[in-house]
Amino acid sequence: MRRHQRAADVITYTLLALIMGFFLFPIVWLLLTSLKPARDAFTIPPVWIFRPILDNFRAVFSMVPVAAYLKNSLTIALGTTALSLVLGVPAGYGLARTASRAAGNSALLMLAIRMAPPVALLIPFYLVMRDMRLLGTYLAVILLQSVFNTTFVTWMMRGYFLSLPADLELAAMTDGCTRFGAFWRVALPLAVPGLATAAIFTFTFSWNDFLLPMLLSGRTTRTLTLGILETMSTYEIGWNNMAAIGMITILPVLLLGYILQPYYVRGLTLGAVRE
Amino acid sequence: MAGKNKVGEYTGAPADRSAAAAARPVAKWLKRLGLLPWAAPALLFMLCFAFYPLGYSLYISFFNYSLTDPTQAQTFTGLANYLKAFADPAFRVAALNSVLFVILAVGAQTVLGLAIAVLLNRDRPGTPLVRTFLLAPLTLTPIVVALVWRALYNADYGVVSYYLKALGVNIGRGPIGEPSTALVALVIVDVWQWTPLVALMLLAGLRSQSADLFEAAQIDGASGWQQFWCVALPLLRPILIVALLIRTMDVFKLFDSVYIVTGGGPGYATEVMNHYIFKTGLTFFDMGYAAAMSNLLLVLIGLFTAVYFRAIGQLGVTQ
Repeated sequence: MRRHQRAADVITYTLLALIMGFFLFPIVWLLLTSLKPARDAFTIPPVWIFRPILDNFRAVFSMVPVAAYLKNSLTIALGTTALSLVLGVPAGYGLARTASRAAGNSALLMLAIRMAPPVALLIPFYLVMRDMRLLGTYLAVILLQSVFNTTFVTWMMRGYFLSLPADLELAAMTDGCTRFGAFWRVALPLAVPGLATAAIFTFTFSWNDFLLPMLLSGRTTRTLTLGILETMSTYEIGWNNMAAIGMITILPVLLLGYILQPYYVRGLTLGAVRE
Repeated sequence: MAGKNKVGEYTGAPADRSAAAAARPVAKWLKRLGLLPWAAPALLFMLCFAFYPLGYSLYISFFNYSLTDPTQAQTFTGLANYLKAFADPAFRVAALNSVLFVILAVGAQTVLGLAIAVLLNRDRPGTPLVRTFLLAPLTLTPIVVALVWRALYNADYGVVSYYLKALGVNIGRGPIGEPSTALVALVIVDVWQWTPLVALMLLAGLRSQSADLFEAAQIDGASGWQQFWCVALPLLRPILIVALLIRTMDVFKLFDSVYIVTGGGPGYATEVMNHYIFKTGLTFFDMGYAAAMSNLLLVLIGLFTAVYFRAIGQLGVTQ
C-alpha cells in the first residue's frame, strides 16, 4: 500500500513538473531574452546561461517613446476604469435590487454585448468616430473599451450586491435615509472588495487591449501594446528589445493579478464560479 | 404595454383632471420599475455606443460601401454582400477554421484542464505554489504572449523549432511556416494562455464537492477511477458547461494571436472569421462586405450560445 502511494506521488510530481515547465517556459524565455546581450539572442543552439545586462531596456527607451506610451496606456486604462465604474456600479445595484422581468432582460442584454466579438462593433464604431472627428483621441478608445467593460462591471457588481443582504438598506431607509443614501452609506462601503476587484480587472483588460487602440488611437495617443510592435523589424530581429518592452508591459498586470489571486477565477467567469 | 394603454385612456380628459389621474398610473408604473432606472445611464450608453453601431452595421451591410472609393458612394445592393460571403472561398475557409479552432482549442483546454484540476485537488506540498504560477498566463498581455510564441516558432532562430529538430522532428519552414501545422501551432498558443482558467474553474468545482459522497461510494466498493467517473464528473457538469461556454465565446473573439503570429497565413491556413473581417473592413476598407460578414459571425456565435444555454437550462442551473 505504501509502495503504491510512493509510486503515485512520483507520477503526480513528474506530471506537475511537466505542466509547470510548459506554462512557465515562455515567461522564462521572455525574462531571459530581455536580459540577454543582443548577440546571444539569436544564437543557435540557444544560450541559457549568460551574464544578464540591462542594455536592452536602455536601448528600448531610446528607440521608442516608452514614457509617452506608458502615459497613454495609463490615461486610457484609468479613463475606461472610471467610466465603466460610474456606469456599471449603479446599474449592477439597480439590477440586483429589482426582481422584475425587465431587470432580468436588461442583465441578459448586457451579457449579449459582452459576447459580441470586438471586430463586429469596431467597424461601425470606427465610422461613427470618424464622422464625429474623434478618431485618434483618448475618448474614442475609452468609449468603446467602456462598452465591453461596463457590461463586465455591471455583472460583477450585480453578483456582489446580490450576496449582500438587502435588509440593512431597508433598515437605513426606515430610519430616514433616501434610497441613494442607503446605497451610498450602507451598500457601497460593504461592496468595497467587489468594487476594487472590478476596478482592477477593468484596468487590466484595458491595459492589455491591442485591437481597439490600434484602430482608434492616433500618433499622440498610442498605447504601450502598440509600441511593442515598433521594436520588431520586418526581418524578425530585435527580439531582445521586444522582450524588454514586453517585460515593462506585463509587470503591472502580473502584479495586479497577484493581488487579485483569490478572486481571479470568479472575476473571469462573471461570478459563475465561486472559489 | 398595459401601462401605456391606461395612460392613453386619459388623453381626451380636461387638463386639470388628467394630470391628477395620469399621475396615478405613472406612479404605479414607476413603482413597478423598481430600481431599474439606476441602470438607465448604462443602458443609454449601450444604446449609443453598442446598439446604434450594431444597427448601423446592419444598415451598411446592404450597401456597397468602400472607404477607398473617392466618391464615397453608398449604393444599395440588397443581400449581395451576404451572397458574396457564401460564395467567397476565403470566407468559407475562415468560417471553417473558426469552428475547427473552437473544437481543437476548447477540447484540448477541457481535457488538459480537467487533468490539472484532478492533480491539484489533493493537497500535497507545493500544490498552492503551482496554483499561483498557473495564474500568470491568464494575466499576461495577449500581444506579448503572441510575440513570444512568434519568436519561439521562428524557423531559423526559434527555440521550439530548434528543439523539435534536435528531437528529429523536422518541420520545413517551422511550425507556423507550414500550412499543415500552422493552425495547431496557433491552437497551442491559446491552450497555453487559457487552459489555466479552465483548470482553476474545475478545481473550484471539485473543491466544493462534499467528501461524504466519496466516502459513501468507497463503502459501496467503488474504485478511485469509478469515484471520479461516476461521482465527481457528473457533479462537475454545470461548471464544465460554463467553462465551455466562456471559452467558446472567447475563441470566436480571437484576434491578437492570429494577427501577430501568422497574419492568417500561410495562404489561408490560419485565417479565422474575426481576422478576415478585420482585414476586409479596416485594411481594404470594404465596409459593406465586412459588416455583412460580422453579422454572419454574430449569428454563428448566437447559435453556439443557444446550444449551451439549452444545455444549462436542461441541467436546471441558474445563475
